[in-house]
Amino acid sequence: MTGRDGFGQLLRAEWTKFRTVRGWVIGLVAAALVTVLIGLFGAAASNFSCSGPNGQPCAASTPPIGPGGEPVIDSFSFAHKTLTGDGSITARLTSLTAVSSSDGQAPVEDTQPWTKAGVVIKESTTPGSQYAAMAVTGGHGVRMQHNFTGDIAGTLSAKPSWLRLTRSGDTITGHESADGVNWHLVGTVTLPGLPSTVQAGLFATSPHHEEITESFASASGTSYPTLATAEFDRIDLEGTRPDDTWTGDNIGDRSGGRPDGGSPTGFEETGDGVTVRGSGNIAPIVAGRGGLGKTVESGLVGAFAGLIAVIVVAATFMTSEYRRGLIRTSLSASPRRGRVLAAKSAVIGSVTFVTGLAAASIAVPLVRAVERDKGHFAFPVPTATELRVVVGTAALLAVAAVFSLAVGTVLRRSAGAVTVVIVAIVLPYTLAIASVLPTGPSDWLLRVTPAAAFAVQQSMPEYPQVDAGYTPADGYFPLPPLGGFAVLCGYTALALGVAASVLRRRDA
Amino acid sequence: MKEALHVEWTKLRTVAGTVWLLAAVVLLTVALGVATSAAVSCSGVGCGQDPAKISLTGIAFGQAVVAVLAVLAVGGEYSTGMIRVTFAAIPRRSAVLAAKASVISVLVLVAGATAVLVSVLAGRIILPGNGFTEANGHAVLSLADGPVLRAAVGSVLYLVLVGLLSLGVATVVRDAATAIGIVLGLLYLFPVVAAVVSDPDWFDRLQRISPMTAGLAVQATTNLDSLPIGPWAGLGVLGLWAAGALSAGGLLLRLRDA
Amino acid sequence: MEATIEVTGLRKRYGPTVALDGMTFTVTPGKVTGFVGPNGAGKSTTMRVILGLDSVDEGRALVGGRSYRSLRHPLRQVGSLLDAGALQPSRTGRNHLLWLAHSQGLAARRVDEVVERVGLTSAIRRKAGGYSLGMRQRLGIAAALLGDPPVLVLDEPVNGMDPEGIRWMRGFLRSLAAEGRAVLVSSHLMSELQDTADHVVIVGRGKVIADVGVADLIESASGDRVTLRTGDRARATTVLAHAGATVAVTGSDTLTVSGLSGERVVALLGENAVPFSEVSAHRASLEEAYMELTRDAVEFHAAQEGAR
Repeated sequence: MTGRDGFGQLLRAEWTKFRTVRGWVIGLVAAALVTVLIGLFGAAASNFSCSGPNGQPCAASTPPIGPGGEPVIDSFSFAHKTLTGDGSITARLTSLTAVSSSDGQAPVEDTQPWTKAGVVIKESTTPGSQYAAMAVTGGHGVRMQHNFTGDIAGTLSAKPSWLRLTRSGDTITGHESADGVNWHLVGTVTLPGLPSTVQAGLFATSPHHEEITESFASASGTSYPTLATAEFDRIDLEGTRPDDTWTGDNIGDRSGGRPDGGSPTGFEETGDGVTVRGSGNIAPIVAGRGGLGKTVESGLVGAFAGLIAVIVVAATFMTSEYRRGLIRTSLSASPRRGRVLAAKSAVIGSVTFVTGLAAASIAVPLVRAVERDKGHFAFPVPTATELRVVVGTAALLAVAAVFSLAVGTVLRRSAGAVTVVIVAIVLPYTLAIASVLPTGPSDWLLRVTPAAAFAVQQSMPEYPQVDAGYTPADGYFPLPPLGGFAVLCGYTALALGVAASVLRRRDA
Repeated sequence: MKEALHVEWTKLRTVAGTVWLLAAVVLLTVALGVATSAAVSCSGVGCGQDPAKISLTGIAFGQAVVAVLAVLAVGGEYSTGMIRVTFAAIPRRSAVLAAKASVISVLVLVAGATAVLVSVLAGRIILPGNGFTEANGHAVLSLADGPVLRAAVGSVLYLVLVGLLSLGVATVVRDAATAIGIVLGLLYLFPVVAAVVSDPDWFDRLQRISPMTAGLAVQATTNLDSLPIGPWAGLGVLGLWAAGALSAGGLLLRLRDA
Repeated sequence: MEATIEVTGLRKRYGPTVALDGMTFTVTPGKVTGFVGPNGAGKSTTMRVILGLDSVDEGRALVGGRSYRSLRHPLRQVGSLLDAGALQPSRTGRNHLLWLAHSQGLAARRVDEVVERVGLTSAIRRKAGGYSLGMRQRLGIAAALLGDPPVLVLDEPVNGMDPEGIRWMRGFLRSLAAEGRAVLVSSHLMSELQDTADHVVIVGRGKVIADVGVADLIESASGDRVTLRTGDRARATTVLAHAGATVAVTGSDTLTVSGLSGERVVALLGENAVPFSEVSAHRASLEEAYMELTRDAVEFHAAQEGAR
């Protein structure tokens, strides 16, 4: 009991020490201020400009929203018939290629890994509506995909491949077959609330050819559309009205049916089959450089500047004790040295956490408001994710403060401690995020250095079915949020251990 | 002035930290340069990488140590109160600051030149093995090559200017830890803020005034057109930062009580 | 160059606080001048102004007729010790003196001379961070003597020293004055200056209260009081009080008598047959004299009276 009381008193003593030094209080207030202000500056200095192919302004910057609430791209060529009630669609895909032509030159073969075509059952022709599809892809074999984020791998990759979707109520089952006789189940998915009347048919689409050239301090990309051509035969629909004919639609079309002036999209009926040509993608939108949207964490870029202030405050919270010999007073007032370190860590950690939480909770909605005001699209994220980003940022600051305090205890010199911690946390982040380093070394840095903790700020998931940069510069970290945070915690625990040990062994 | 120089040289020479810090500048710069050189690869013609810049990546690391060295030259005197002894011995405070600046510049020049030479040499040996070959359009790194020489000399000067910037900031704030925070914040913050700003005008503006991004433009040997600012002009931006910090420091030194 | 310090009308404010309020005095060669006053009276500020470290709103401080900051080699004119702890702990004592010597164009040989003079030879090649307070004070004195200056400014040089150190310092200061130097030594304890200072400048609240020779000060503080040793305190008191003296009991058999001369006391006691063993003129300690003088000038004292 006395031990606990003693620690409580120690905490109070350290808290009194902290709040009575004006520089430290100013330092933390400054940390909160720069966090908010830099976030606001980032938003204010981001002008939204969007122009269509001929330079005219875009009609709408808001992308369609998928059933899961995420922004999606839902753009493909669709030959469809109305299907009422339960039923199925079967087709054999005999050929899938994609071409591109740059600057009006003759089209060249340019099949993308996620060029895809196959059979699809879709709620309606409205972009963003529910769907399930069995598709053959350019580089990832047969896939069963649904509602933009769902992606199940099949076993086949050769062409021709038989594909089948069967609807029963809300449930859609996908099968694949190499010969049309032996069918293999790929997956079963549920499309909740799927209406009785849906559109079933054939689709083809092919994403942009993207090339990102990374050079130091900048990344420049070229990107141009590709056009997929898919040939189907042995088409069989069960459950439709038999006299129904194929209807063609370019879902989510923004290019007037002719991407880059090449062959037209759409479909044509051949002898016993259908050929579909399409361009675009059916996938969630991925954030990144040059992307159209703003993520939650873009409002927290200032936390990085706040972090520097926090590091300085936390390091001097300990090193100032050594400068004037105050440590002897502290240790004679409380001879159990490990507890002094624990109390100091607890105080600096909590004070920083509260400051960081306040700053992040102010910065995020404020920056969002400015971004919305300027016409930016804000990526919606689940509340839990947003909470994790905000609380995680505060926790990142708090743990970094304790790390700084521990390093300060070991080194006893403020300048050295501040430098070590900034170089350990801030430098790798800068090198990685600002495209100073190529992606390989950047990823590596964000795995093994305490800067890995910035992963807690990542709000957007990576999608295997979408090819994108997924580099730190795009806001994608190599480690999962908690994993990255654990790296910083590990370093901090190690530093605290060393600090406790030297504090015990060293003469004060 | 000659005496002030002698004094500052004796001061720096007689604390053990100086030698270690200078060694750290060389070691860390070379280490990060070698690690980056070993990690990158060039797969074909026009892989967009700049071999000189890759081999000199370590400057981004080494500059932190240069900042510590320069900040401690002033901050160490303020934290102990020795600055009063110094000013009692040499009442012309601007002479003290100028002497500190000169001695730091020479020391950083020597350490920086060593670090850069070793880094370029390492790049020369390592990079061809990673695809930076003549066949892919990359000549072997050589200081006889004009742009490579500019990158090398510019990198050394970059470190010197970072040292002077740090000295100026430390003189203004008179506290080593705060000064380090401000210097490293100035260096590392601009690129990160620029990365989230999507207005191209602001992006360019930030890149051009950023002491680190603009200053390191001097390392570019390829693709000069895509730089936010010309190589020497970029180094000039850092020079302006350093001059501004030193002038502010000198002015405050004169106005404030010691 | 005339080895003097002339301080004229210094005024300085820090915000609402008046640090110096017309400080004026002169330090002359060949003497140890004590600079005394309670904490916060402006002693250290004045010394920093003399050394060109702090600026003033008004007034000026000259050393040998020139302002400190105009001196080519200031340490050859004025040696100073403000804060013995003001050195970088990782440097050896000798290297600390070495850079100072370089700043004045002095040879390294001079360093060894002053080190020997302050008796620090055995420790001089160790890191200054490990020095005791007394060793730091000696190192600081060595630094002050480096340029063999005719003027010395020392802020609380015996602060924290052991008795032996204090005795050494007293003798040392006297020998410096005997060499013809002007020595200004501050202290907040008058007793520290006993047997050291020839002259004292007593300050309070930023200005000079008294600027007198030590002998004169003690003389005036002693007044015409007489110390009387007697076996019959009661009768002696009655007799002397009757003659118009003020009598205070200062010990079991001693009385302090004021208002009567020593001869008159002896005569009165003889007339009345009061036994006594000793009658002597009372000699006030420097401390008593100081207390007498500063009674009204001490800030804390004033605050107490204000609160009453």
